[in-house]
Amino acid sequence: MTFDDETVMAYVDGELEPPARVALEAAMACDPQLLRRVEAQRALRARLQRACAPLLEEPVPERLLDAARGPRAPAAVPPLPRARPPVRRWSWPQWSAIAASLVVGALLGPPLLHPPDGSVTARDGRLLATGALAQALSRQLVSTQAPNAAVRIGLSFRRRDGAYCRSFLLRAPSPLAGVACREQDAWRMQVLSGALPGPAVGDYRPAAAAMPAAVTGTVDALIAGEPLDAAAEAAARGRAWSQ
Amino acid sequence: MPPPAELHAQLVALLPRLRRFARSLTRNVHDADDLVQLAIERALARAAQLQANAPLAGWMYGIVRNAWLDEVRARERRQRLLTPDVGDSLAGRVSGPTDAEQLAVQEALASLPEEQRSAVALVLIEGLSYKEAAYALGVPVGTLTSRLARGRGALQRLLGEPGPQA
Repeated sequence: MTFDDETVMAYVDGELEPPARVALEAAMACDPQLLRRVEAQRALRARLQRACAPLLEEPVPERLLDAARGPRAPAAVPPLPRARPPVRRWSWPQWSAIAASLVVGALLGPPLLHPPDGSVTARDGRLLATGALAQALSRQLVSTQAPNAAVRIGLSFRRRDGAYCRSFLLRAPSPLAGVACREQDAWRMQVLSGALPGPAVGDYRPAAAAMPAAVTGTVDALIAGEPLDAAAEAAARGRAWSQ
Repeated sequence: MPPPAELHAQLVALLPRLRRFARSLTRNVHDADDLVQLAIERALARAAQLQANAPLAGWMYGIVRNAWLDEVRARERRQRLLTPDVGDSLAGRVSGPTDAEQLAVQEALASLPEEQRSAVALVLIEGLSYKEAAYALGVPVGTLTSRLARGRGALQRLLGEPGPQA
């Protein structure tokens, strides 16, 4: 099945209706070429937002505040609220505020101070995590990750062959969820899905745990035993996720 | 329309985003602020037209953009600047982009035809849905998406958007 550019753009903009979205996500998981097109559109969107985000931080001239407050009693108006984030989606203002916080910076390192343009790449026929996603998979612990971290690790577990795997949710520039397993010193994707944040996906689950069914199903299929607890996870990280 | 106090508070909250959008239209800080001020004045004068549950942001973006189109037409007629105080424009540059990446992106945006630039700015930068952006621009959604697609294609050519391998 082929997808034209407007369909890929609509997907990246969060505008694709469920049947087409599901079809595209399914195709994306096994079509690196399509995934590259999606990633290129995501990267452009992220790049524009990144370049224009600082404009929101500029002080608003008093004359505009006066005009907006209207002629009466400016003192009665509360102090300037922060700009509302753009509708519906993980937005650049939120992202930049989080990236600017030292917690995320210290936890994940400088590359996450820029949004993950290319979080997944195809190499030798395998889909591998790159950039900020790869770093989060290698470094971030479920027990200590910031609740609003750009990449959320869902859970860590061992596959039947002993390899370590982790489910993740990437929020920016567009939601992407998946499961990656450590193979030959890289994080190889087992499944990828464009996830909707919050209760829009599986509203019976807590928002923070909202993973698409494709991801939870893959975890169920791969996992041997129970997910790693905090101590086992920290120990695995200490061994660089080697078996 | 919303109660006046609420409307004013919402307008104040929208100011940073309106200024950013205006900047993508005018490229000049002072012109952008003049444009936002004009739009606020027009909006308050027409507030009675705003229905209680209408999207204020989309309505305001539309007013800013129409004010800009009016201004462009007026400039073509009289061939002078919105801000007569030309000496001021240097101060505007100081707070313009200093970062090479910001400059490159803004140059690329500025080179797009106005219709594509407005569509790109509203959807990709301001985060509006297609429906909201189409409402702000007063066009059908299909028109918006084709402008958006053309604008994106041009930006990718201009910016040499690196693939995921980069």
